[in-house]
Amino acid sequence: MNHRIRDDGRSILRRPQAAVRAWVHLVLAAGTGLLALCAVLLGLAVAVLSLIGLGLLLVRPWLALVRSIADLERGRLRRLGHPMTPPYDPLPKGWRRAVEAVREDRATRRDLGWLALHGTGGLVLAVIGVQSGTAMVTDLTSPLWARLLPRGEATVLLGLVQVDVGQGWIIALAAGLLAGIVFFVLTPLLDRATQETGLRLLSPHPDVDLSARITQLTATRAAALDAHGVELRRIERALHDGAQNRLVGVAMLTGAARESVRQDPEMAEAMMERAHGAAEDALAELRGVVRSILPPVLADRGLQGALSALAAACAVPCTCEVEVAVRCPVSVESTAYFVAAEALTNVSRHSDASRAELEVRRTGDRLRVSVRDDGRGGARPGSSSGTGLTGIARRVAALDGTVQIDSPLGGPTLLEVELPCGS
Amino acid sequence: MRIVIAEDDALLREGLTMVLRAQDLDVVAAVGDGEQFLSAVDEHRPDAAVLDVRMPPTHTDEGIRAAVAARERIPGLPVLVLSAYVEQSFAADLLHSGAQGVGYLLKERVGRVSEFVAALHRVADGGTAIDPEVVAQLFARRRGADRLDALSPREREVLAAMAEGLGNTAVAARLALSDNALHKHIRSIFAKLGLSPDDSSDRRVAAVLRYLEGTR
Repeated sequence: MNHRIRDDGRSILRRPQAAVRAWVHLVLAAGTGLLALCAVLLGLAVAVLSLIGLGLLLVRPWLALVRSIADLERGRLRRLGHPMTPPYDPLPKGWRRAVEAVREDRATRRDLGWLALHGTGGLVLAVIGVQSGTAMVTDLTSPLWARLLPRGEATVLLGLVQVDVGQGWIIALAAGLLAGIVFFVLTPLLDRATQETGLRLLSPHPDVDLSARITQLTATRAAALDAHGVELRRIERALHDGAQNRLVGVAMLTGAARESVRQDPEMAEAMMERAHGAAEDALAELRGVVRSILPPVLADRGLQGALSALAAACAVPCTCEVEVAVRCPVSVESTAYFVAAEALTNVSRHSDASRAELEVRRTGDRLRVSVRDDGRGGARPGSSSGTGLTGIARRVAALDGTVQIDSPLGGPTLLEVELPCGS
Repeated sequence: MRIVIAEDDALLREGLTMVLRAQDLDVVAAVGDGEQFLSAVDEHRPDAAVLDVRMPPTHTDEGIRAAVAARERIPGLPVLVLSAYVEQSFAADLLHSGAQGVGYLLKERVGRVSEFVAALHRVADGGTAIDPEVVAQLFARRRGADRLDALSPREREVLAAMAEGLGNTAVAARLALSDNALHKHIRSIFAKLGLSPDDSSDRRVAAVLRYLEGTR
């Protein structure tokens, strides 16, 4: 962290606009700092009034004020590119709960900590930074504008030095240079420093963050188990209603044929014929089930070969680009294949597209699958093409991946799926 | 003998009908789900019914429920339930309505036509036909538990055959035992398990099954 700050400071000498940017940030920081200072003073007043009881009733409105100021700061930090999530539950109801929140609620206490720091030290740092900029400009230009004012009126350094009296202009220029050094070297640091308290205290506590992550992981794990369960049920049904019933039929018919082969050879012949047909059906069913579990083409020819075959078989002309230097785990490849297959099925069934593009890339430890078509768009989970999308979402969620569908009415449609490959 | 069949898979339904008709049995109706089965039973009042366990709409235990419902409407209606796999709890549900005239067999047993038809006749005559798989499951669950261990291997075979619903003659034939030897085994088994000996075969089956199932 320190290392980075120093680096920033050095590069600033080369890039003055960074200093200007930092200065603008500091102006806003000074704004929230001033508000924070007001809230601190109000808080002290509330605390004093609480001694006679009256203040207790004011805790809740005061907390509401604190939160809106904290939210302003969060907004400021968010605009600076930091992801900020408000960490707390809705404002507690009733003054007792409000007082309790001040005493016990971790997020509220972190807010208050920020308020105290930002309203005092933060404000001072921000003002110094802002001042350095304005002072640099006014002091350095003072010899020029001093002439426009009556003699002795033009002053720098808080009115201590008269620019146009004696050697005053030298002092003014020196003060301007000093302010300039502060401006170019220190404002970025001040900027960082004023952001730091907010970044640390206005985000959820690291533990809280972790628990949110745990909740999310638990959910994806549940989704994985769920998807797994659904998949198992599907396979079981496919085997039971298909191949198994056909084979039971084979056993039943061949048994019956054996029984009647002596007395009624014709009947036996008819039964054998049906048994034969049932055996062939069973084989076809088994092939289908095997293909749906792990497409043999994927095992034989890898993702690239399997996807090219998929694109070639698509009813809509489809280009296929695969850039996967390092093979991914089987589960990832098979999900990627499933996603591509479902998406292309959707394209040929629902989109009315004249062409489609399938693109699969591995960058680092993520595999990106994107399917684009120039059809009529409007693809939503839950619509007629939606069962496919729902299936995609479920299988992707099971691997902790993400799905994005961009499909305005009138098209085009872009489906993007990202899967972590875990390296 | 007049029979109603309920089986949702067309091939199996026709196959079953073929097999039974070839054995000179009168298949009066062959339907595809539980509701049609109940109305067919109401209409034809058959001597026995043969049902598949998994049928539309949910493909879970419609056959069992339809069989139980039919036996509530027509007490003692012999039902033989067929299943692609055996689940001992299905057998228990079925036997709950009484062990008389109840059968529960794996579907592929139909291919052993004479044995299957014998089982069907046994059920139609108020007897019991429990698939050896179910009995094996019951034995497996009870493995290592107390009193079954006291049985000799031969006695276990006898008990399993009795649990399937075979009568004394059939048990003796299957295990190549003399009548006398079989009776000795049965007395010994019942004594070891603490069951009251009873000669009527369905009560014997019920007692054995209850023993196997009850003290899990």
